[in-house]
Amino acid sequence: MIPTEFDYKRATSLDEAIQLLSSSSEAKLLAGGHSLIPLMKLRLSEPETLVDIGRIPDIKGIREREGKIGIGAGTTHHEVETSDLLREKAPVVADCAGEIGDPQVRNRGTLGGSLAHADPAADYPAVMLAIDAEFHIKGGNGWRTVKASDFFQDMFTVDLADDEIIVNAMFDPIQSASYAKLHQRASHYAIIGVAAALGVENGLIQWARLGLTGAIGYAVRMPNVEEALIGKQPEQDTIDAAAGIAGDGLEDINSDLHASAEYRRAMIKVFTRRALEGAVARL
Amino acid sequence: MEISGEYHFDAPRSAVWAALLDPDALQAAMPGCERFEETGPDAYDITLRVGISAIKGTYEGTVKVTERSPEDSYRLSVDGGGKPGKVQGTALMQLTEDGGGTRVAYSGDIKAQGAIARLGSRLLGGSAKMLIGQFFKEMDKQVKQRAA
Repeated sequence: MIPTEFDYKRATSLDEAIQLLSSSSEAKLLAGGHSLIPLMKLRLSEPETLVDIGRIPDIKGIREREGKIGIGAGTTHHEVETSDLLREKAPVVADCAGEIGDPQVRNRGTLGGSLAHADPAADYPAVMLAIDAEFHIKGGNGWRTVKASDFFQDMFTVDLADDEIIVNAMFDPIQSASYAKLHQRASHYAIIGVAAALGVENGLIQWARLGLTGAIGYAVRMPNVEEALIGKQPEQDTIDAAAGIAGDGLEDINSDLHASAEYRRAMIKVFTRRALEGAVARL
Repeated sequence: MEISGEYHFDAPRSAVWAALLDPDALQAAMPGCERFEETGPDAYDITLRVGISAIKGTYEGTVKVTERSPEDSYRLSVDGGGKPGKVQGTALMQLTEDGGGTRVAYSGDIKAQGAIARLGSRLLGGSAKMLIGQFFKEMDKQVKQRAA
């Protein structure tokens, strides 16, 4: 319950944080700390240096710029959940934030922390895949942009170097998207979480993006469900048929004391249906 | 907790068998292996620095190979302890010909104690699969290097 000894450094700017990351060995960024600190207390994680980025103003806040929405990586789940801008322009993101953990986690935990940690049952990754977000990342070699679909690589493993920081997530405004989640009742991690986003023109679905979390080691798209939707009318029969094949072909489904692999497999279909119904209701 | 899976090598069964049981190849394929000492026939003392992102720790333990049935199957047992707790794993490794290559199927059991077990109910299976994946990928390199 007591972590091993570590150095604590508070960065006052993005560049200072990057410099501290590259000059310390075994350094970890501390944002909200609601994933990292419990791991340190269990001594599953023993960073030598913590670089606190909790007070850097550049990485906080939600803005609309040139038609895109940007959320700073240091923005808390609570700020996302209660953002009027997101409620109006991308309600699925605010909905998702409101489903994360408990009030303490939502008041401290941040978007960037959740994305960088990439817990297999984290909520944001599924939504970021569905809304086709891109992440702006800064490191020792300057800026780069990574699409959500390229960012999540494996359990706790993302496309982020040791000296890099996620600065913000950018995406187009979207109404017709929804997140449906089966909560683990104690931790409120997603046993299964599905985010669906749909584009409809002339009465037909033009594109669909489905993000799935909790099912395997990391969040993934469901291309077979997306293909089953394209060109169809957004009605119940279409949703039922597409949700009926959700998760098919997916291997290495998680199994733990909260849910067996078989149960998760069944719930992927149920929550895909609910997410699609939610997205259609917002058309 | 039970685990099982398989990996396909593009190499004949004899070559895969030789690599899987070769101490040098085994050492190279163990994720984060910092120390690997032979202590007897098919028995080794190891130090592993295992890490998946923030979850990183040093484990001291042993590796044993038993129930050898040449080019067919063997049992691999790994036992280790570190600050977050203890992990024991044992798996039966079965080699079969598969097209021009070799399929290695593993099935076994992992037990954890301490903090790893507390976290484990949710993450142990995934972590084990990831480390086993790394093991086979590196072993694949070893097999290819030997063929070259």
